[in-house]
Amino acid sequence: MTTTSETTTPDRAWIADITMTELERNPYQAYERLRREAPLAFVPVLGSYVASTADICREIATSPDFEAVITPAGGRTFGHPAIIGVNGDIHSDLRGMVEPQLQPVEVDRWVDDLVRPIARRYIEAFEADGHADIVTQFAEPVSVRSLGDLLGLQDVSSDKLRQWFGQLSRSFTNAAMTEDGEFANPDGFVEGDVARAEIQAAVDPLIDKWIEEPAETAISHWLHDGMPPGKTRDRQYIYPTIYVYLLGAMQEPGHGIASTLVGLFSEPEQMEEVVDDPTLIPRAVSEGMRWTSPIWSATARISKVPVTIAGVDLPANTPVILSYGSANHDTGVYDAPTRYDIKRPPLPHLAFGAGNHACAGIYYANHVMRIALEELLEAIPNLERNTSTDVEFWGWGFRGPTSLPVTWEV
Amino acid sequence: MAFTATVGNQQVSCGEDQSMLDAFLRAGVWMPNSCNQGTCGTCKLRVVDGDVDHGDSPADTLTAEEREAGLALACQATLRSDSVVETLGGAVGGGITHPLRDLTATVLSNDEIARDTRRLLLELPEPLAFHPGQYVELTVPGTQLRRQYSLANTADEDKVLELHIRSVSGGAATERWIFTSMAVGDQIPVTGPLGDFFLPAEDSDDGGPMVLIGGGTGLAPLIGLARTALSRDPGRRVLLYHGVRGVDDLYNLDQMAELTKVYPAFTFVPVLSHEAPAAESVHRAGFPTDHFIEDVDSARGWSGWLCGPPPMVEAGVKAFKRRRMAPRMIHREKFTPATD
Repeated sequence: MTTTSETTTPDRAWIADITMTELERNPYQAYERLRREAPLAFVPVLGSYVASTADICREIATSPDFEAVITPAGGRTFGHPAIIGVNGDIHSDLRGMVEPQLQPVEVDRWVDDLVRPIARRYIEAFEADGHADIVTQFAEPVSVRSLGDLLGLQDVSSDKLRQWFGQLSRSFTNAAMTEDGEFANPDGFVEGDVARAEIQAAVDPLIDKWIEEPAETAISHWLHDGMPPGKTRDRQYIYPTIYVYLLGAMQEPGHGIASTLVGLFSEPEQMEEVVDDPTLIPRAVSEGMRWTSPIWSATARISKVPVTIAGVDLPANTPVILSYGSANHDTGVYDAPTRYDIKRPPLPHLAFGAGNHACAGIYYANHVMRIALEELLEAIPNLERNTSTDVEFWGWGFRGPTSLPVTWEV
Repeated sequence: MAFTATVGNQQVSCGEDQSMLDAFLRAGVWMPNSCNQGTCGTCKLRVVDGDVDHGDSPADTLTAEEREAGLALACQATLRSDSVVETLGGAVGGGITHPLRDLTATVLSNDEIARDTRRLLLELPEPLAFHPGQYVELTVPGTQLRRQYSLANTADEDKVLELHIRSVSGGAATERWIFTSMAVGDQIPVTGPLGDFFLPAEDSDDGGPMVLIGGGTGLAPLIGLARTALSRDPGRRVLLYHGVRGVDDLYNLDQMAELTKVYPAFTFVPVLSHEAPAAESVHRAGFPTDHFIEDVDSARGWSGWLCGPPPMVEAGVKAFKRRRMAPRMIHREKFTPATD
């Protein structure tokens, strides 16, 4: 005779066996089971509760009982106060600092003139070759150069910006914890520290200059906007948010461009439709963001009070990681979610998050991805994936293809 | 009962049984359109406010989700209330619009010019403004059947319209009318101009090289386009392929020879799909799209113009892209089968 508890309490031991390596290689399998069996569960290797379904992610992201918290590895990498991990007045001030440049009406004013020449320049460098790696030769450079120029980092090379986001990204997602709640791989933060030191060495002289001579760059605006005459925001106050930009905002449009292309290559008829009709590109990008969400599992919330979510009692001060990449594969919302399909009903997805910490750069990022793909498919409408190798995706916190070799007839 | 459609800052009165597209074009308000029978989706628009009747909009072209989301096909939908609509491609008004008109034309001539092919010349009571490459609709007498035929004219040839018509076995318009009972002097109703197969306005035409591929009577609009492009820029490279089954299907060869003589950068290439070309003839064997691939190494900066049966048009789009023509520079006019 089995006991009642055995039939009503599913065996959760498997959750303790989830490893960081497995999540970084392919998180979808583990998360599919989490969504099915334990959509809000404590995952030991992450040392945190994890929300994996669309409903629970959205509920927590928009709940007044929760506020933002940066993941431990994220906090270790960025320091305080990073815009993604603060609340109240500091959060309001930082949002007020970054948002004016990111308003749709403002972005519309300059985004084409900013991004299109950059995309064209990178295409010109390889278009006569008949082959390229889209990730390293196009998606990443266009993403970092566009934002780099917007921030005022014209003198920092695209390769350096790509190197920084890689270092910050690996440090930010060095999430594995020991049973004692310590970082399992403290050495994994060293490269993030190296990147931060390099960034400060490059940006400090610019800040010195912009304090004296305000310029039309985002960082200059961050120093001056909303401050009393003669005062500027302290650089240590804005650096964590500069790191947020140099990681997420630099890396993710590149991930989105590359993932969208991989998705389109998986559906040749849809690829052809999009090539023939560039007005479909925004739709293709939106589906790419759902299909492989670039910010897969990099944001978190913390309960302010004891709260019960999806039948799970959480005490006050319980962090929950929001796995938006999983929520966007929730079969309760999407049919056949693993398939890239621009024809699916255009339901809202969570790739840009939700609530008052939703991505401030959503409009900008969508346009960077749109313009990059418009230029690429206009210049090389005969683009084909090099099928001699499989496309490999990597990442749990941030996710995208590691490379995307393509060929075309010159 | 008429309702008002507002698009941008323009207002158009739409009759009860009048498609929005018909009303817009008659009022001289440009709206993207191509097939005018609900199959291509070019005229899809968003109804921001108000009710429409989708009429015969096919489910393939306008899905249930799209209807739910407020989209409509302007060529099929009629208004059921005053409405506000917006086009999906952005602003209305891409260049000069020639109002859609109904005219009664007189058949001036109706001659066989190639195998199963007629040239119909229709004299108009007054000039019709159109863009070369656009088409007109004829209504088969005693029926409601409408058939679309491209104009072979340039814009200044606005008093006598030239149509090229190939006989369709059992066709109500061809076998039972144009190829049999239609006589010189007949008065026939003509509606036009329609369609989006035309050159950019002269001030935004970059003068870039052009390739035009016509299958059978798909040559007609290409003649108007090529002559217009060459008159704008006599040194422009214009490559015109005419794909037919055999030598007997070729026509307008004198005109092609004349254009070749006057414009050194104009090339005419007749291609026979079902006959071996005679020795030393200028004819080529096979399909025009394959010859284009052989003839042109790179079509970067070119525009492409395709008119003919859907498989030819699709092969042309692929060939153009293979030679890296920008997709937005590819223009296509498909012969869509009559739906009634």
